[in-house]
Amino acid sequence: MKQCIIIGKTNVGKSLFAIQFAAFLGVKELVITAKDSFGTVTRSTYSVDQALRELVSDGAHHTRKLQSITVDLPVGKGVKRFEMVDTSGLIEGIPADAGIRSSMAQTLAAVREAQLVLHMVDASRATERGAVEAFGEVDYQVARFALMRGGYLILANKMDLPRAREGLERIRREFTGHPIAPISALNREGFREVKRFVWRWI
Amino acid sequence: MARDARPRTASEVLDLFEQGRVTPAEAFALFRSIDKGQDPEFSKAAPVSNHLGVARPKTKEKAEDDEAARRQRLREVEAELNALIGLDSVKELVKEVQAFVEIQQRRMAQHLVSEPLVLHMIFKGNPGTGKTTVARIFGRMFREMGVLSKGHLIECERADVVGEYIGHTAQKTRNQINQAMGGILFIDEAYALARGGEKDFGKEAIDTLVKAMEDHKDEFILILAGYQDEMEGFLQTNPGLQSRFPIHIPFPDYSAAELLHIAHHMLRERQYRLSAAARERLKMILEQKSTRRDPNAGNARMVRNMIERAIRRQAVRLVKKRRSSREELMVIEEADLEEVTAG
Repeated sequence: MKQCIIIGKTNVGKSLFAIQFAAFLGVKELVITAKDSFGTVTRSTYSVDQALRELVSDGAHHTRKLQSITVDLPVGKGVKRFEMVDTSGLIEGIPADAGIRSSMAQTLAAVREAQLVLHMVDASRATERGAVEAFGEVDYQVARFALMRGGYLILANKMDLPRAREGLERIRREFTGHPIAPISALNREGFREVKRFVWRWI
Repeated sequence: MARDARPRTASEVLDLFEQGRVTPAEAFALFRSIDKGQDPEFSKAAPVSNHLGVARPKTKEKAEDDEAARRQRLREVEAELNALIGLDSVKELVKEVQAFVEIQQRRMAQHLVSEPLVLHMIFKGNPGTGKTTVARIFGRMFREMGVLSKGHLIECERADVVGEYIGHTAQKTRNQINQAMGGILFIDEAYALARGGEKDFGKEAIDTLVKAMEDHKDEFILILAGYQDEMEGFLQTNPGLQSRFPIHIPFPDYSAAELLHIAHHMLRERQYRLSAAARERLKMILEQKSTRRDPNAGNARMVRNMIERAIRRQAVRLVKKRRSSREELMVIEEADLEEVTAG
C-alpha cells in the first residue's frame, strides 16, 4: 500500500489536516493505527468528531506516534487504497526529552519510506521571526530532501487566519519551484487541490 | 565534542538523532547526502554544528583496506583452486569465468555496454571428479568478487526439491532456492528431475527453478550437476534449459597417476605414508580399474574411501601388538590395502 506522509513542525496542524482530509475523501469511520517507537501497534476506531476531540490539541507535541488512516480514493471504476500517515512534529533544535526524540526519529524513518510527502507549514506565522511555528532550517532541508523523491507538496495551512496572505507570499518566495497548496485544515478549504495532487501520485 | 565519522546509512543517522546529537534539519541533510553519496550541505542560513565532522580520509583508507583484504582473500581462493590435483581443463574454465566477470564489472564502471552476468552452470562428470569442490570454490570466489552476497553452497538432490503431492514440489523447491539466496544452489544428479515422464513432479521442480533463475538472476547461481551422458540427455529433452545455462564445465575422470597423487596427498595430510610394496600395490589397483573401465575408475571419492579403510585396517593390525613404534604408526602396509580391494 502506498503511503502519504504528513510532516512539518510542531503545531502547524498536521493531525487536524489528516482527520479533516480523510473525512473530505469520504471516510466516515476513521480506523487509526498508531505505532509507537517500540513498534507496538494499537488500532482504534473513531468517528470524525471523536477524532477531532481526542487527537487534535492546541499544544505542541500532542502526536507522539505514527498514526495512519487507511483511505480509499475512488479512481475510475475502482478505488485506490492508500495510507495517510500523521507524524509527530519536528523542531529546529535537539529535543531534550528522549521520548520526543524517539518519536521524531520515527517520523524521519517514515519519511524515507513514503511515496508522497505532504509538508505542512503555518502560513499565518510565516512572516514572524523566531516563532516556534515559523518555518526554518528544518523546512528548507525537508524541501531539499523531498525534491529528490517522488511526490512532494507544500501545504500552507491556517489560511483562515489574518496574516496568512502575507505568509503565503513569503512561502512562495522561499520555496519557489515547489508545488504549494494554500489550505485551511479547520475549514476544509483548498482540499480539492490536495486531492488532485494525491490522486496523481498514489 | 569529538568529531564523529560521517554516518553512512539511514539507521546510523536515526541513531545519532535518538542520542540527541543531530537536529532534525541535520538528519534530513544527512539523508540527502546518503542518497546522493555526497557530503551534506546546508543552506546559508543554517548554523553548521561542529559535530558533523566529515572524516573522509579515514573512510577512504578503510575502503582501501577492505579492497586489499578482499583481493587477498581472492588470491587465497585462487591458490586453493590451483592446489587441486589434475582438473586442468576445469581450472582453465574457472579462470575464464573469473576473467569474464572481472571485465564485465570494469566495463560497467566505465559505462560501457556489458553482458548481463548470467552465471548458471552445468557440471558434467562422473561422481568423485571434483564437482562439489569446484562449486564451493566458485561460491567463495564470487563472494570476493562481489557477485554473490554470501557465497555459500546449498547442496541438494531430487528428493530435496520434488514433493509428494500436488503443490508440494513448488514449495519445496522454493524453500531450497530461498536458502540459497546470496549463494549457490547445487543440484546433484539433476537429470533425475526429468525422470518419470510427463506426469512426474520433477517437471514442476524444473519449472520453478527456471522461474526463479529469471526472477532472482542476480541473487543466486544455480548449478546442475550429473553424469555427462545423462546431463546431455536431460538438456536435450528440456530445450528451454540449454540456453539458460551459458556455462558448461565437463569434469574428466582422474587418470590413475592423478589418483595416486591424490592418495599420497591425503595420506600426507593425515600423517601416514605407504610402504614401498603398498605403493606398488595401490598403483596396480588403480591402473587395473582404469583398463577394465570400472565405473569407479577416476573417482577421487573411491580413493578416499580406500585410504580411510586402509587406515582402519592398519589400526586393527597394530592394536593386536602391545606396543608400536612411531614408524609403525605411520606406515600403511601392502596387507592393509589388500583387504580393502577384497572388500
